[in-house]
Amino acid sequence: MNEFPLLLISFVIYLLVMLTGFASFFGSKTKWTRISYWLAMASLIVQLASLLVRTMVSGHAPFTNMYESINFLSWSCALVVIIFQRTFKLEKAWPYLWLIIVALMALVSSPILPKNVTPLVPALQSYWLWLHVSVTLLGEAFLAVAFVASLLYLTAGRDSAGKLESQKRQEKYDLIAYRAVAAGFPLFTLGALVFGMIWASRAWGRYWSWDPKEVWSLITWLFYALYLHTRLVMGWKGKRSALIAIIGFLAALFTFFGVNYLLSGLHSYV
Amino acid sequence: MIKFLSSIKLTISLLILIIVLSVIGTLIPQGETPGFYRHYSPGWSGIILGLQFDHLYRSPLFLSLAFLFLLNILFCSSQKLPAKFRQVRGQNEFNQVEGQSGSDKKFVTGFSDWLGFEPDSLAAGLKQKRYRVKIEEASGQKTLLAQKGRLGLFGPEIVHLALVIIIIGGLISALFSQRISLALSEGQTAELPGKNFSVRLDRFTTDYYPDGSVKGWQSLVSIIEQGRVKKQKTVEVNRPLKYGGLNFFQMSYGFDWDQTQVELEIKGTDLAASNLRLRAGEKVQIGPGLTLSLITFIPDFELDEEGQPASRSAEANNPAALVQVTREGQSVYRGWLFYYQPDLNRIQSQPDFNLEINLKKFEAPVFSGLEAAGDPGMNFVWSGSILLFLGLLACFYAGYRQLAIRVQPAGKPVLVARCRHNQAAFYQELEELLGQRPVGRINSARKK
Repeated sequence: MNEFPLLLISFVIYLLVMLTGFASFFGSKTKWTRISYWLAMASLIVQLASLLVRTMVSGHAPFTNMYESINFLSWSCALVVIIFQRTFKLEKAWPYLWLIIVALMALVSSPILPKNVTPLVPALQSYWLWLHVSVTLLGEAFLAVAFVASLLYLTAGRDSAGKLESQKRQEKYDLIAYRAVAAGFPLFTLGALVFGMIWASRAWGRYWSWDPKEVWSLITWLFYALYLHTRLVMGWKGKRSALIAIIGFLAALFTFFGVNYLLSGLHSYV
Repeated sequence: MIKFLSSIKLTISLLILIIVLSVIGTLIPQGETPGFYRHYSPGWSGIILGLQFDHLYRSPLFLSLAFLFLLNILFCSSQKLPAKFRQVRGQNEFNQVEGQSGSDKKFVTGFSDWLGFEPDSLAAGLKQKRYRVKIEEASGQKTLLAQKGRLGLFGPEIVHLALVIIIIGGLISALFSQRISLALSEGQTAELPGKNFSVRLDRFTTDYYPDGSVKGWQSLVSIIEQGRVKKQKTVEVNRPLKYGGLNFFQMSYGFDWDQTQVELEIKGTDLAASNLRLRAGEKVQIGPGLTLSLITFIPDFELDEEGQPASRSAEANNPAALVQVTREGQSVYRGWLFYYQPDLNRIQSQPDFNLEINLKKFEAPVFSGLEAAGDPGMNFVWSGSILLFLGLLACFYAGYRQLAIRVQPAGKPVLVARCRHNQAAFYQELEELLGQRPVGRINSARKK
């Protein structure tokens, strides 16, 4: 029994979510949006099932290597996008956000990432594994939404719609990006830095070792602190704000992928 | 100077500089010997060592930036606090000049239709919506001040205070933390410098998964004080032992390669084949006048940058034993025997005597790698961390709202409303309370 069939099904449904979302640009907007939304809910549940099955089969939390973590991250992103749809009515942003999830699912399903269940090394045998990784990835899901919203902001200018409408849409992307950072930043702080420090002090006796992964998560944190300060104190909005959110997320990506594969340290759990 | 230290531009510059330096620190391997840097990047090694980038996060440059950052936080927050305290006491509502923090949206407005209600009648409605209400009367004018989510106004200050606490904790850790590495074999006791107790390893076990990989290590450890066992506990990864201000962690295990016992197979033209067991420093007679001694054992043999034999790691990846043969006290051969490549044993090709020696087995006692750590800065970091998270929640989600109405004997009543987030919802709430939508323009007062 393994979780892979469920994962593939949710991948296909996410693809449909994205396609029906784009269909709403051309056909009946309300019809396609509603279909897209309910497909998203369905896929969220199927992928959740895949996470549960993986947990049962492996006997440990479903985020101990790259394959498991990206599966969980894409699920978190899906959750966040659905939450944002309910609070903001994403409209044109909706299918573009699903693009990121589809990309992640493609990565998860591909043979690049080894999928075999391996027992936990001693350092990972702790309940802090659950808290540290899940809260961090949930925070990063919000930051991913901010990333896409910021990209949309920068590319929204060239639209066939009227100037006023595209300006309103840009403002909406700007607002979505900010609200996403406002949710993602506290979660990332708590999950990556605070829980990470607590676990490190229990496992290695030091809450901070200036390990490349730790430093890069600090770098990511500093970028978003920069985003918030330039926005809230200096009043930067729009283009400059979007750029900082984009670079910050690239730092988050490097923290997640780059450090594991390109740098080495206590943290390389590939 | 104070203006410089409390400026947001300094904050931005420091954030960028700290980011850049931190990135550099992950690209330059940290904590290596000067020879390492000269060997691997001769062009840059001068700058690296000169700027102390081999331990960048403790370098004077990085520490000065961190210190400036600390000052910036302190000065910035203390500049803003007085104005915020005044605001919470309702003391600047009706002044036109003030500076508020960037995201406050202040409505300076009036009523389109004065409905003639007294501020007192509003108080009940406000209290129901969880506002704290204060009514003052002075020289014929009545002022109503209602606020909620006051913590949200101070969110940034709470976050900054938390950061200060964390940075101070970090400094304390840097100066006062202790780490003692212990490698204990079963039965061995280690003294702890500066402490009046010692630690003894009673038993060390390793658990394996069915596939052979390590599941965990358990060290049964006793703390001995004044000759008596005060505490005995099993230390495992993620389950440290706490005693006397120190925490004992299971970090690793290893083999005491200095105590390796090797088994050598000796064959010769005038000797019967025999197997001998030796430890480093021991010698044995192998023939008339001939003695063989084991000088040393290396688990992972390699030649280092200077061409000297060294061990690449603590794993037995390339075991090698250094032996010496002496005839009547004179050394006739000294060379290495390789476990995996016996054809490299040069003793085989000695013309003087016909001897073939091979390294057949090796066995070293196992030790438990424990680490005793004490860190007085940790508690600061924990309290700072909790405060940091709560402060961030207050910043973004506490929804500070303030409503002030002044009714004067002559002239129109004045309403001033202020909120930190979600203007639209605030407008709606005011409409419900006042029975009408307040008229006015939004003054996004921002600190210049």
